[in-house]
Amino acid sequence: MINTANGMISQSSSSANAQSPGLKTYFKTPEGRYKLHYEKTYPSGLLHYAHGKTVTQATLAHLKEKPAPSTPTAPPSSFSASSGVVRSAAAKLLGTGNGSRTLGFGGGNGGSKSISGSSRIGSLGASSSSTSMTNTNFDGKGTYIIFNVGDAIFISDLNSQDKDPIKSIHFSNSNPVCHAFDQDAKDGHDLLIGLNSGDVYSVSLRQQLQDVGKKLVGAHHYNKDVRFRCTSVTWVPGGDGAFVVGHADGNLYSKDGAGDSSFPVIKDQTQFSVAHPRYSKSNPIARWHICQGSINSIAFSTDGAYLATVGRDGYLRVFDYSKEQLICGGKSYYGALLCCAWSMDGKYILTGGEDDLVQVWSMEDRKVVAWGEGHNSWVSGVAFDSYWSQPNSDGTAETVMYRFGSVGQDTRLLLWDLEMDEIVVPLRRGPLGGSPTFSTGSQSAHWDNVCPVGTLQPAPSMRDVPKLSPLVAHRVHTEPLSGLIFTQESVLTVCREGHIKIWMRPGVAESQSSSSETVLSTSSKDKPLLSSKVVTSSYRQ
Amino acid sequence: MGAAGSKLEKALGDQFPEGERYFGLENFGNTCYCNSVLQALYFCVPFREQLLDYYSNNKNLGDAEENLLTCLADLFTQVHLHVMNGITLMIRAQKKKTGVIAPKRFVQRLKKQNELFRSYMHQDAHEFLNFLLNELVDILEKEEAAKSDPESSSPSEKTANGPTNGLANGVRKEPLVTWVHKNFQGILTNETRCLRCETVTARDETFFDLSLDIEQNSSITSCLKNFSSTETLNAEDKFFCDKCCSLQEAQKRMKIKKSPHTLVIHLKRFKYIEQLGRYKKLSYRVVFPLELKLSNTAEDADIEYSLFAVVVHVGSGPNHGHYVSLVKSHNHWLFFDDENVEMIDESAVQTFFGSAQEYSSNTDHGYILFYESLGAGSNKS
Repeated sequence: MINTANGMISQSSSSANAQSPGLKTYFKTPEGRYKLHYEKTYPSGLLHYAHGKTVTQATLAHLKEKPAPSTPTAPPSSFSASSGVVRSAAAKLLGTGNGSRTLGFGGGNGGSKSISGSSRIGSLGASSSSTSMTNTNFDGKGTYIIFNVGDAIFISDLNSQDKDPIKSIHFSNSNPVCHAFDQDAKDGHDLLIGLNSGDVYSVSLRQQLQDVGKKLVGAHHYNKDVRFRCTSVTWVPGGDGAFVVGHADGNLYSKDGAGDSSFPVIKDQTQFSVAHPRYSKSNPIARWHICQGSINSIAFSTDGAYLATVGRDGYLRVFDYSKEQLICGGKSYYGALLCCAWSMDGKYILTGGEDDLVQVWSMEDRKVVAWGEGHNSWVSGVAFDSYWSQPNSDGTAETVMYRFGSVGQDTRLLLWDLEMDEIVVPLRRGPLGGSPTFSTGSQSAHWDNVCPVGTLQPAPSMRDVPKLSPLVAHRVHTEPLSGLIFTQESVLTVCREGHIKIWMRPGVAESQSSSSETVLSTSSKDKPLLSSKVVTSSYRQ
Repeated sequence: MGAAGSKLEKALGDQFPEGERYFGLENFGNTCYCNSVLQALYFCVPFREQLLDYYSNNKNLGDAEENLLTCLADLFTQVHLHVMNGITLMIRAQKKKTGVIAPKRFVQRLKKQNELFRSYMHQDAHEFLNFLLNELVDILEKEEAAKSDPESSSPSEKTANGPTNGLANGVRKEPLVTWVHKNFQGILTNETRCLRCETVTARDETFFDLSLDIEQNSSITSCLKNFSSTETLNAEDKFFCDKCCSLQEAQKRMKIKKSPHTLVIHLKRFKYIEQLGRYKKLSYRVVFPLELKLSNTAEDADIEYSLFAVVVHVGSGPNHGHYVSLVKSHNHWLFFDDENVEMIDESAVQTFFGSAQEYSSNTDHGYILFYESLGAGSNKS
């Protein structure tokens, strides 16, 4: 399919991107070539656009090894050699039969509920429409891509080069539009799905993989009363199963567990306010009214202390999550902000928006410190590449370098280097005009002012903000992009129409078995998993 | 028709802005190009107010003959219930808040004025807008000249007794700055720099709208950047430098010297394709934000604009299309399709960007964008 002699994509019958002349299958950076390794998409025959079109988002999920059951009476495990269909059917029957709590089909942490109430015996009757997927038992480790197209959620195996997903879940009332994964979420419910209707579901990823049906199984349903589209969902880091969901009405709900509650009417739509329900044990825990107009994306800092939100009103807002207070933020140059992402060290936030700019915000300075100009359309996804290391990083470097990426509706992926101590600061033009001389320091008077905590900065002037140029700009798809994910060994680009491309980093072994080994062996390390989780939760349109 | 109107009234409920009227315009014989532009202009509040103001103050001008300005004013008046300066309106305003109006007289006048619009064939909305604004300026200039020289029945007639105020003898006054100019006119500076002697020749040009070349999967911001980008004149296109007295390689660029109060952006969706020997419609997806700033201007400040109307071309080709308009009034977005008026959600504006794919079932594409500047004297809506 790929990697022909001249590097161009050759015709492939199942490739939805087959008619993509001019798209290269690699791009060059100072560290080497990133090569297109494989693609993921959905089988087009399976799709329904019953509820209209929505934009595809993607979430990366590292599923941990299912812990061994604590009691020896766990017969289903011995069936693991047989075909997946028979095994899961038998296991479910047995599971409900003994009422054993340790069968743990709910997933990861071992402390799982029995699935008696929620097991869909009915799903056995469903046509075991085996697609070309190989039946594995999904008890082991795995890395998956979860993405939404139309009325469905598709799950693809990142360790397989198969184009087709291994699982599809269809929603009957509304389209899924956003999702988030947390391998450490409690009760084994590690996958959140937000719908266009405002509903939110939490499920176990493993349970979905092990179920043969086309519907969600074992789901907890939230937000039955909120009738505004979900725009972004994210788990609270270290929050023991707590999560936050943003909606198109400018409201954010923080939740934990099951159940719903009601909130008082918002008196002033233009002001930030937080309301708590009367009974503190009920869910949601709190409703935050962030802004007028839709919240487009939310992201927690790695340590869970701060929550960043961006929205239709063009403001980035950073909150101290536990204190429910606004710390800082500010306005885009113009237009709505569409996406945001934190650096691993929590010092910088990236935002992208309708002014075609990528903005770099500093938490220390509490204002924007650089603008990336380079996209020819709206910026729909931003992310720091936490796996990239600075060249000559032997501790003697005087400046800290960050690498980040952005994707836009101009179909391009841009990579950027940010070197903090060397940002060029434009000098104000003198009264005689002429070309400005660049030097550090000496900006317009108001620009140097300290930004007090708890305030929002107004839109800066074009002349005040230092500019960044991209390192690389590459057309990766024929359609506008919607997401960007950095992993240990690859870069994933997602387009609005549901196609995902996996680009291998330079130097990563390209043979399938060795690369899967690499993925499996490194995915168990602590930090990378956390970072990719945090990083991926923030790409939202 | 009427049903849609009352549905709109119900939808807006108490929020139906006082004094606003939402009327669809009847289409008779492919006049949608005209209707959609008129809707957009009507909702350019400063323009509408100044037009009606001028009309009510000046319509007692002797034997005021009918012209495009009077017809336009009449039309706007039919939908506007506001009584200005105690002068009763010539035409009784409709009592209903929504409904349909037939712009018959306006269209008749338009066809009489310009043979381009005479056929019943499909017309181009941008050409119409351009013509209308220039025609209004002409009318206003003539009326101004007639006022200063009341003895002549037409400005071109010479008086036997010589000039009374220095206007005759072909001495041209400074071009009148009309309220049309104040609303829509901007100034471009065309700078050409000879690469040999470095002399920069600057030439100012006024505009009522900016016509932008478009690219697939781009934004208005990016199209504006390209519009102002530096072009190199070389090979067959060399520039004749007055200083060097010869053809030289040069660099040319256009900068916005003065931004207009109402910025009209025309997307060049109709391109002449040589191989086909005809025009083709480019269905490119070109995103436009609800707020915009112009930064490649000669002025220091970044001027901020807000989108208030979009004229949409519907159809896959230049000859068999239809026009509709989207208009923002009092923070509600409305969809006007000839006689039909509907309220739409702000997010629906994004469905008119165009298609990223060559062949798509969606043929509704944003064609003319109307932005108003935020600041002194802007629309309250």
